[in-house]
Amino acid sequence: MTERTFNRVSPLQDVALQGRFGADKGAVGVSFTVRHPMSIVTVIARAGQGAATAAALKGHDAQWAGSDQWFVLAENRGEGALYRELKAKLGGLASVSDQSHGRVIIRLVGPRARAVLAKGTPVDLHPDAFPVGKSALTQMAHVGVHLTRVGADSYDVSVFRGFSESFWEWITEQAEEFGYQVI
Amino acid sequence: MLIPCPHCGTRPVEEFTFLGDAAPTRPTTNDPSSMEAWYEYVYLRNNPRGPIEEYAHHSGGCRSWLVVSRNTETHEVFGAVTARDFSKAKEAKA
Ligand SMILES: [Zn+2]
Repeated sequence: MTERTFNRVSPLQDVALQGRFGADKGAVGVSFTVRHPMSIVTVIARAGQGAATAAALKGHDAQWAGSDQWFVLAENRGEGALYRELKAKLGGLASVSDQSHGRVIIRLVGPRARAVLAKGTPVDLHPDAFPVGKSALTQMAHVGVHLTRVGADSYDVSVFRGFSESFWEWITEQAEEFGYQVI
Repeated sequence: MLIPCPHCGTRPVEEFTFLGDAAPTRPTTNDPSSMEAWYEYVYLRNNPRGPIEEYAHHSGGCRSWLVVSRNTETHEVFGAVTARDFSKAKEAKA
């Protein structure tokens, strides 16, 4: 029998077209990238195992995603590899599930990234309240989002795959006044 | 209304789904003699004007169940705790 392999296709492949858009004078305010393909695994600690799970996740890119819950992210891992690794490591401590195909992560970088996001969320994005590494769960344009500050001027926004196209249309429209590029 | 979620910080009421009064306590037996208590628990609710404690789900945020205390007359919000802490405190009192 022939072995079949599937190439993962980003749901934004035909939507997030590269180029410069919106205000066309001066430097761009925001750059968008779709982080694809990503390994995204949800970890939910069992009752009373929050601290032990957090300790076991040291060294991973683990982002807070609710009380005793995390999204663990990785690039360049094989299909299901991160899930299997965490499942083995966290047995008994936490429930682990692979969300890699279910979510899309959009990265915003640039001096106006915060201004774009602030149009959609009541979360205080000032660096004193929302420092690098901090995550929040909130809604933007009626879509549930997981938002993380990954740098002084850069943020990751993770949304369910099925909402990604309408979310993309909304967020790029918010960036038009600043001028944006899609990389 | 702004709700102080213990996990997420202050968030607008639009991010929450309210379930209702947190005062009724679920009967611990299903013995036929407890039917009156079940009837009360399932169907009967007060409709207070003033302070109330209500279950709220942070559905547009961390998805935790909370108990929010607020004033139905003035819309003042006094605070919010996790439903887990709320029921632990309730058990401790009982
Ligand atoms: Zn919350």
